[in-house]
Amino acid sequence: MVSKTVKCPKCGEQSTIEGVVGKKTIITCPSCGTKGQFTFSTAQPMARTTDGSETIQVRNLTKQYNDVKAVNNVSFNIRKGEIFGFLGPNGAGKTTTIKSILGLIHTDTGQIKINGVDIKKDNKRAHKYIGYLPEKVSFYNNLTALQNMYFYAEMKNVPKSECKPLIVEMGLEDAVNKKVGKFSKGMQQRLGMAQALLGNPAILILDEPSGGLDPRGVALIRNKIREMKEKGSSVFVSSHILAEVQAVCDRVGIISKGTLVAEDTVEKLRGKLNLKPKLVIELEKITDDVVNLIKSIEGVEKIEVVGVMMHIVCSSTSKSKVIVEIEKSGINILNIQTMEPTLEEVFMKFTEG
Amino acid sequence: MDLDPIYLIAKKEIIDNIRNLWIIIITIIFAVLTIAMSALGSIFSDEWQSLDMTVALMMSIVQLLVPIIALMLGYAAIVREIENGSMNTLISLPVRREEIILGKFLGLGGVLSFTILVGFGLAGVVIGIMVPDVNYLEYMIFIGSTILVGLVYLTVALFFSTLFKKRSTALGGAIFLWFFFNMILPIILIGIAFAGAGMSDIISGNVPDWYHAVQLTNPMTVYSTLVTLNINIGGAMSAATATPQVQYPDFYTSGLMISILFAWIVGFLGLSYWRFNKKDI
Repeated sequence: MVSKTVKCPKCGEQSTIEGVVGKKTIITCPSCGTKGQFTFSTAQPMARTTDGSETIQVRNLTKQYNDVKAVNNVSFNIRKGEIFGFLGPNGAGKTTTIKSILGLIHTDTGQIKINGVDIKKDNKRAHKYIGYLPEKVSFYNNLTALQNMYFYAEMKNVPKSECKPLIVEMGLEDAVNKKVGKFSKGMQQRLGMAQALLGNPAILILDEPSGGLDPRGVALIRNKIREMKEKGSSVFVSSHILAEVQAVCDRVGIISKGTLVAEDTVEKLRGKLNLKPKLVIELEKITDDVVNLIKSIEGVEKIEVVGVMMHIVCSSTSKSKVIVEIEKSGINILNIQTMEPTLEEVFMKFTEG
Repeated sequence: MDLDPIYLIAKKEIIDNIRNLWIIIITIIFAVLTIAMSALGSIFSDEWQSLDMTVALMMSIVQLLVPIIALMLGYAAIVREIENGSMNTLISLPVRREEIILGKFLGLGGVLSFTILVGFGLAGVVIGIMVPDVNYLEYMIFIGSTILVGLVYLTVALFFSTLFKKRSTALGGAIFLWFFFNMILPIILIGIAFAGAGMSDIISGNVPDWYHAVQLTNPMTVYSTLVTLNINIGGAMSAATATPQVQYPDFYTSGLMISILFAWIVGFLGLSYWRFNKKDI
């Protein structure tokens, strides 16, 4: 997602617009109402201004494998102390972006800075700020959990005394001296998280942290993410589990076919898509008359009837009208629930087609 | 360059090889073979063979065994970690890729050097007890030369480990290399010699300098020349087999041989870094 300040050719009013690189955006002048269109250049999208609080800055990142652009001109920032969710369908470019941030792969174009340090110029210094949990967690199978942690602690120049408490915190107290080769996927994931947390890193990059974990493990990781935010760390989480992301993330970025199609808070993305809340009403009985009555109310977009449950998609202002009309019809309302649009709906909208 | 990560990676390689018993197994193989070579001489001459003679007999075994051990130690050093995923985490740590390559080389090189030094060293001590007037300096030159040629094959294996995406391909490459240096290259060089010089000249040992220069492209030839130049192997062998001693040209010096082996090590270490640095993990 990129932004640009544009000037209305008719009245001269300036406004800032946001859009996706290479795609047309229809603009309506807020002052005179003149309509126009703007295509964001693929060459140099305007960078968001930085005030020094960004811990990860990604600019115009492009990575091509053979003829396929895995990541195409992606730019975004992650601020200090925020949890940033990175979403996208399989093969969208999430892991390629993460690997580029870490310098594991060589990008074709673009600049990545970690706490102001250019990853291409001083990879080693940049890595001092990072704790990383890869998508495919793998350790030295011939070593125990503690021996593995000691190796990583020494490499990170972190006191070895941190290792055992972290293993225990991640629920592996019975496996401290067990060889990692005998660990289940979930246990490896927990140890991977412990490794990423070594030295309280300023930036935590987690690629699919819930993979292979039981619900208890998922909750443990979620709590750790929140704890790290409270300590002031920035957390970059790539995940398929949208509910997890929605539960912890301050902002999300959605990548589709290598292009960052959205970047904002979940609430703002909902607003941009004009997604309406869903009213779920349980009635004593449902008749055709009451369905037709509700359909006729202004602002009601869609009605779904499942048994005695009515799912109504409508604007916020028409919610009360719907309830009043049902009561007038003489049918008793047993239960009312309002469901806000989920991240899943936002995700589906942005990645459809 | 920071020495700490290099040391830590080297230490891990050494400890891994102690844990999986490689160090002990290879050391025992070297020691047993050397002692056996010397002791077997007593079957024909009622006494153990001298160290010179043992070295002469050991040369052919070293030329087969040391490259195999070095290639086995190094062929998977990088590709194994890429394949199983641990390289992702390793590179995300505060470490440069050249430090990883150097750490791996020093660790595995340490394992190889230790096994050669202790294996042959122990055997040398045993032979020294059984045989009078042992020249230990010459024996140490043999051990040092063997370590050098071992390190050459280790860096070649390390390069193969950065070149391929799969461990199986890297293993295939290492096996091919062993065949190339031990079987194919000597045949090519003999072919070149026959094509450029007369057969009678080659049999009589009267070969042109260019042929000797071409021979130096094979690190094993460089190694055997280095040992022969410093240890009286030729005398021992010709006395035993009644064949004329090999005559080397004037430019065949120990300094040149050591320089060539070092050039192989530095060259392939550089190639390994270049390839690894370009690699997407």
